[in-house]
Amino acid sequence: MPTRRRHPRRRIGEDGRRLHSAGSAIVVALLTLAIGVLLNAPGLHKSATIQPEGWKRDVALGFTEPLTSVSEALLLDRPRRGLKAVLGRPEDDQIDTRIAVLEPPDEPPNPTPPPVRERFTPKRPLRLWIAGDSLVVVPGQSILRAVGDRRAIEPIGDVDGRIASGLERPDVFNWFEHISEVMRKEKPRAVVVMFGGNDDHGFMTGLPEGREVGAFGSASWTAEYRRRVAAIMDTVTRSGVFLVWIGLPITDDADQTRRFDTINAIVQPEAAKRRGLVSYLDTYFLFAVDGGYAQFVETDSGRLVRMRADDGVHFERAAGDLIARQILRRLNQRFDLTSWRR
Amino acid sequence: MLFPTATFAIFFMVVLPLSWFLMPRGERWRPFVIAASYVFYSAWDWRFVFLLAASTLWNQLFALAIHRRSDPRTRKLLVAGAVAGNVALLGYFKYFDFFVTSTNNLFAVVGIDVPLEARSIVLPVGISFFTFMGISYVVDVYRRDFEPVGLGKFAAYLSFFPHLVAGPIVRPSELLPQLEAPRDPRYVDTARAFFLIATGLFMKVVIANYLASNIVDQVFGAPNQHSSLEVLVGIYAYAVQIYADFFGYTNIAIGIALLLGFRFPQNFDAPYAAVSIQDFWRRWHMTLSRWLRDYVYIPFGGNRGSHVFTYRNLMLTMLIGGLWHGAGWTFVAWGAIHGTALVGERWWRERPGYVEPRSTAWRRAWQRFVTFQIVCFAWIFFRSDSFSDAWDIIVRLFTAWGEPSELVTGGVVLAIAVGIGSQYLPRRLPLALMARFSRLPVPAQAVVLSVALLAVHAMGPEGVAPFIYFQF
Repeated sequence: MPTRRRHPRRRIGEDGRRLHSAGSAIVVALLTLAIGVLLNAPGLHKSATIQPEGWKRDVALGFTEPLTSVSEALLLDRPRRGLKAVLGRPEDDQIDTRIAVLEPPDEPPNPTPPPVRERFTPKRPLRLWIAGDSLVVVPGQSILRAVGDRRAIEPIGDVDGRIASGLERPDVFNWFEHISEVMRKEKPRAVVVMFGGNDDHGFMTGLPEGREVGAFGSASWTAEYRRRVAAIMDTVTRSGVFLVWIGLPITDDADQTRRFDTINAIVQPEAAKRRGLVSYLDTYFLFAVDGGYAQFVETDSGRLVRMRADDGVHFERAAGDLIARQILRRLNQRFDLTSWRR
Repeated sequence: MLFPTATFAIFFMVVLPLSWFLMPRGERWRPFVIAASYVFYSAWDWRFVFLLAASTLWNQLFALAIHRRSDPRTRKLLVAGAVAGNVALLGYFKYFDFFVTSTNNLFAVVGIDVPLEARSIVLPVGISFFTFMGISYVVDVYRRDFEPVGLGKFAAYLSFFPHLVAGPIVRPSELLPQLEAPRDPRYVDTARAFFLIATGLFMKVVIANYLASNIVDQVFGAPNQHSSLEVLVGIYAYAVQIYADFFGYTNIAIGIALLLGFRFPQNFDAPYAAVSIQDFWRRWHMTLSRWLRDYVYIPFGGNRGSHVFTYRNLMLTMLIGGLWHGAGWTFVAWGAIHGTALVGERWWRERPGYVEPRSTAWRRAWQRFVTFQIVCFAWIFFRSDSFSDAWDIIVRLFTAWGEPSELVTGGVVLAIAVGIGSQYLPRRLPLALMARFSRLPVPAQAVVLSVALLAVHAMGPEGVAPFIYFQF
């Protein structure tokens, strides 16, 4: 009598696929992750490094640092580096924390505005660059839409908004290097920036050798942040470029609003020191209703308009349009953008 | 907790073996998978876990009450109450502010001040999906399609994490029977599962994210800064982005469920190869289409009446489908465009003396082209924040030809070609690949998948944007 196997060892499923056991699925998944993390170790290490400060970052770094060493020793990082090079993004996994700070000028910056409003025309347009963290994206796009009809302004590319970036963490995105490069290559005549939305904590990278900073808002933190704000302002304005710095808004979180106030209190005086070259746009009161945060704001015509996103921080399009109008007014005050029409 | 993140990978590598370990003992497996699903959901906002629990209890209580009653009038009242509760939940969290601003602005036109205030309500992730699944359950019990299950099974069905936040919308009749008996750990379709997860990751992390950050966001953010060619390619790019995003999510969700031993229904079937709008809705978000057909279109009367009655039902169903996607008039317009196209197609075919023309390759190609253009036109409203933004896009499409088009790069064109071209691949190709993969030894499978992971991680941008359908 032939023996009957109760369970076939293998079974063919739909469309000729061999079915496997759950144990096999678990082993494949584990092996895939093990090999996958070794192959992607440089990228994982960078992702761990640029995380916000905290235990999750510490754990991730504790895992990815030895992983990167093993990956390099086994040459398993090479395929990723090769692929990145082929894609034209060899610098993706590099962590750059150099902060380019200009030498202080021999003489203090000229506090008086230039006497003549420089004239721009469609043939010789004002080159405008808009950059910053994610908060700048919506107002930046509003500016681009608005200048679409003002042919005397020529935007340099789209809004250069980098999520999760700021002045505290050049390892996440090095604005100091990037701004220098854009100023050199693109030669804008006016720049709009917004920073600080991700800088409301005490962790900074790219500190000078031997320097340490205290908690957010401490004297050492404030001094270092002021140095960085000044570096950005000087990098932009050293060749007479006009800079509009958008201040941080009120948010739905009172603690966060207080931290934003601390940052605004650093930026505003630095802008004032460079009067005529830097214009600080205070957004706090633009979106505060009866002194408090409001997601919906009633316009003059009585329409209820949503100004702020669900996260209580970012802007909706109507808010972006409001900021854009303020910025264009400042550009019009500083430059002659309309006389060509006459 | 997004699928393509290290956090989810760790979560899943804990859940997968434990799930199989506990699977033979349903009384232990169910609390475990409910707990795991609630942990998964609480990663967004722990407070909304109570909302999910409340929705579970609400639907279960009504299902039991409906089942126990035999009086048709009472049953009808109970099912109406259950549906009203679900709709009220969705209405409050998703549509309250939309209702307030729309009412306020309507009356502001005639100078009347309405004393209604918006409340800045945060939309709980996935609420549209689990609310629809809850409605399915009570309505199916009302229709006597099946008897209500125990609370544990229903809670596992509603909260099962692979489908929880962005579908597919799994019907009770599809998942509840699978929860009745333990899955067989000897026969798991691992090849299909891993193939779906790998392709899903590629579509989301590489294709969707690349198109979003390299053309779509710029074009829709400031259309008047871009040439007509950029706007046109931007619209096509958005069509591919939303497909790659949602198709990618669904593939990962189906693959993860499969690894846990559960089968989910297919949600996409090459929608951009559709030859009509009706055909498109048989291929796009298929589980939503079925839901709308069975729980909206048919209860409205379906096609059991005059032509005009059918057209009305079609239009209403598509308007509701549009509003389901988002609390905004642009979503209603998106639904209206699809509704109009569906009505138009139906009217054309129902004309007296209409004879279906012979299907030829050229004819099908033309039909596909026209269908894709209509779908893309509707996407303009879906993606735009307002009608004026949509209008800007449409105007710019015709008024800036010949201007420089820096955003139309080889990479963008390639990503669009991959997104659309993948829908024209012979169906046997992925099946053959999966069959071949399934025959590889375990270490070789792991190496193949690791290389795929390397390619996806290296080609994708830093960070992962949330899936588009999370907001619906």
